[in-house]
Amino acid sequence: MSLKFNTKKSRAAAVAISAGALLLTACGPDSSTDSANGDSNQPAASGDGPKIFVVGGKADDPFWSRVKRGVDDAALVVKAGGGSVTWLGPKNYDNLGPDAAKLIETALSQDADGVVGPDWEPDAMDEAFTKVVGGDTPLVIYNAGGIEAADRLGALNYVGSDELTAGKAGGEFFGQDGEKNVLCVNTLPGAANTEARCQGIAEGIAASGGKSTQLPLPSSKFGDPTAVAQAIKAALLKDNSIDGVITISTGDANAAASAIQQASVQDSVALGTFDLDPTQLDRIKGGTQLFAIDQQPYMQGYLAVSMLYDYINWGLELPQKPILTGPAIINADNVDTVLAGAEAGVR
Amino acid sequence: MTVHATEPDVRKRSTRATQTPSSFSLSNLLRRPESGALIATVGIYIFFVINGGEFFTASKGTATWLNPAAELGIIAIPVGLLMIAGELDLSVGSVLASSSMTLALVSGHWGQPIVLGVVVALSLGLLTGFVNGLIVTRSQVPSFVVTLATNFGLAGLALGVTRAVTGSTSVAIETDGWAKKVFGSYFGGGTFEVAIFWWLGVIVVVGWILHMSKYGNWIFAVGGDLVSARATGIPTDRVKIALFMGSAFGASLVGVIQTILYNSAQVANGQAFVFNSIIAVVIGGVLLTGGYGSVVGVVFGTLTFSIVGQGIYFTGWNPDWASLFLGVLLLIAVLMNNTFRRMALSYGPRKKKG
Repeated sequence: MSLKFNTKKSRAAAVAISAGALLLTACGPDSSTDSANGDSNQPAASGDGPKIFVVGGKADDPFWSRVKRGVDDAALVVKAGGGSVTWLGPKNYDNLGPDAAKLIETALSQDADGVVGPDWEPDAMDEAFTKVVGGDTPLVIYNAGGIEAADRLGALNYVGSDELTAGKAGGEFFGQDGEKNVLCVNTLPGAANTEARCQGIAEGIAASGGKSTQLPLPSSKFGDPTAVAQAIKAALLKDNSIDGVITISTGDANAAASAIQQASVQDSVALGTFDLDPTQLDRIKGGTQLFAIDQQPYMQGYLAVSMLYDYINWGLELPQKPILTGPAIINADNVDTVLAGAEAGVR
Repeated sequence: MTVHATEPDVRKRSTRATQTPSSFSLSNLLRRPESGALIATVGIYIFFVINGGEFFTASKGTATWLNPAAELGIIAIPVGLLMIAGELDLSVGSVLASSSMTLALVSGHWGQPIVLGVVVALSLGLLTGFVNGLIVTRSQVPSFVVTLATNFGLAGLALGVTRAVTGSTSVAIETDGWAKKVFGSYFGGGTFEVAIFWWLGVIVVVGWILHMSKYGNWIFAVGGDLVSARATGIPTDRVKIALFMGSAFGASLVGVIQTILYNSAQVANGQAFVFNSIIAVVIGGVLLTGGYGSVVGVVFGTLTFSIVGQGIYFTGWNPDWASLFLGVLLLIAVLMNNTFRRMALSYGPRKKKG
C-alpha cells in the first residue's frame, strides 16, 4: 500500500479487530539496527553550498524507498553545487509524530539551510516546523499535510498527492473508457482518505454522465480476500448494470479480479485500483485489469529537494501551489515503462 | 453464558448426549447441541431466499456464501474442538498470514518447488500451534493471553521478514498444475472453490475424532473438568497441545489455499478469521467455557455466519447497515442456542433406555 503516512495510520486504526497487526503492516516498523536518532546517512558537506535536510519515512519502506530515490537523484545536483542533502528517517513508526518532530529539531541543530518534511501529525510536529520558519530557514512540506499545512506554517509549497483528485482522475478514466456504473469497493468505510477516494471516483465519472456507488464492507471481512471477493461478486450478480469496479487497495483488487472472474463478467466489467504493486502491473499487462492509480512517490522526493535547492540558491519559486505528484493512471499503454521503473526502484 | 447445570453435570450429560446413538425421537433431536444452530441456519437461509431473490438461490449465489464458509470452516472446526477443551486460539490470523507469506516467499520469491513451499508453510502452522500449546500447558497462563501474544508476535515477524527479504508487503506467486488444482481452483463452472472439499475432509476427520474415537471423550473431559480428567489418566497436556496444533494447521491450510487462489500473499491478511472463527463456533452451540459442543453444530454455525455476512448484498439494502444486521442476528442465534442448551441440560433424556 503506498498511501500517505498519516492516512495509512488512520486506515489501519479504523479496523479495531486487527488493530495491532495492521498498525504493524500499515506503518511498517520492522526491527531496526539504526542509531537512536534514526537512520541518517550524512554525506560530508563538501563546499559552501546549502545544507538541506529531508525528514521522511524509513528508507526500507517500499513507498519511502521510492521517495528517497527521488531525493538521492535530486541530491546529485545539490552536491555538484557544493551543498549536501541529509535524509533523516525515524527508527520505527511507533511514535511517529514526536519522533519526526525531534528529527526536525536535529536538522535545525545542524544549521540546516533548508528543510523538507511531511506534516504527518500536525499536533506533534507543527511546533518544530514553526521553529524552522521562525529562524528564516525555508521549508517545503511534502507527502502529507496538503497545501493547508504549507500555508499555515508559512512553507514555500506542498509537494504530494490529494485523494479526492486521485479519485476524480480514476472516475474520469472510467468515463473515457465508456463505463457508466462503477462500484467503489471500500473495505475501510468511514476513514477520511478512503471516503475521499470513492467520492472522487463518483465526481470524476459524473463528468461523462456515469455514476459510482460505494460498496462499504464491514470490518469482519477486512483482510479476508474470499469474503471480499464474494461480496463483490454478489453485488455484481445483483446489479448487472455495473460495468466497472474500483478498489481502495491492491489487496482488494486481487479479490475483485477473482470476483469478476467468478461472476463470469470479465467482458463487461472493468477493474481499476488505487495504488501499485507487481501483481497489479502483471494483470494490467495481461489485460485483466484496466488501470491503477499511482501517486508517484519518486516525484515527491525529487521535486521537493530540487525546488528547495533552487529557491535557496537563486530564489526560484513556482507559482503552482500545491505541486501534485499524482495521480498518474497506469494502463496497458504505459505498463511496460512502469514495469521497467519498478525494476529500477523508482516506481 | 449463565444458566446451566454444574460443570461435571454438563460434562456427563453432554458426553452422553453426543455419544449414545439412542432412539431418534423429536425431543431427543431437539436436545442435541446442534439443534439451535441448525434452526438458525435454516431460518437465515429462508430469510434471504425471501429477501434476496433468484440470484441468492442460483448456484453462483450459493457459492457466494459457501466459499467463505468453507475457508472459515477449515479454521472454525479445529478452533471449536479447542474451545470444547476449554481453550481459545487468537493466533489463527497471524498463522494464516505468515503461512501464506512463507509459501509466497519460498515458492514465489525464491522460486523453489511449490511442494516445498506448501510443506514449509504448513509446518510453520504446526510449529506455532505446538509452541502455543507448550506455553499454555507449561505456564498456566490463559490461552487467551498466550495466543494473543503469538498473534502479535507472528504478525511482526511476518512483516519484518517479508520487508527485509522483498522490500514489500505483498508478494506475488504464480502456480499452475497440481497445486492450483488441489488448493486454489474452482469447480462447477468456475463457481465453487475446491476448499469446499478440504472443509468436508476436515468435517469427517474431526467429526470422527470428537464423536466416535476415545479422543473425543478426552476432549470433552478436558474441557468439562480438567482436574478430574487428569485424575482419570487422560494426558491432558498432550491433548491440549495436539488441539492447538490442529487449529494452527487449519489456519495455515487456509493460508495456503488463499495464496494459491489469489496468486499473492499480503501481510495484513487473515486477521478477520480470529473473531470470525470464534463467532462461528459460538453460533454453532459450543460453550465459550468449554465441555459442550459438536462438529455438526460448528458447521451450521459457520454456514449461518457466512450466509448472514454475504446475504445482505443480494437484498439491495444499503450495505452501510451490514454490521448492525450481523450483530443482531448473531445475538438472536446465540440466545436461541442457549435455550436449546438449557433444554438439553436441565430436562435430560426422559428415561434411560438400557
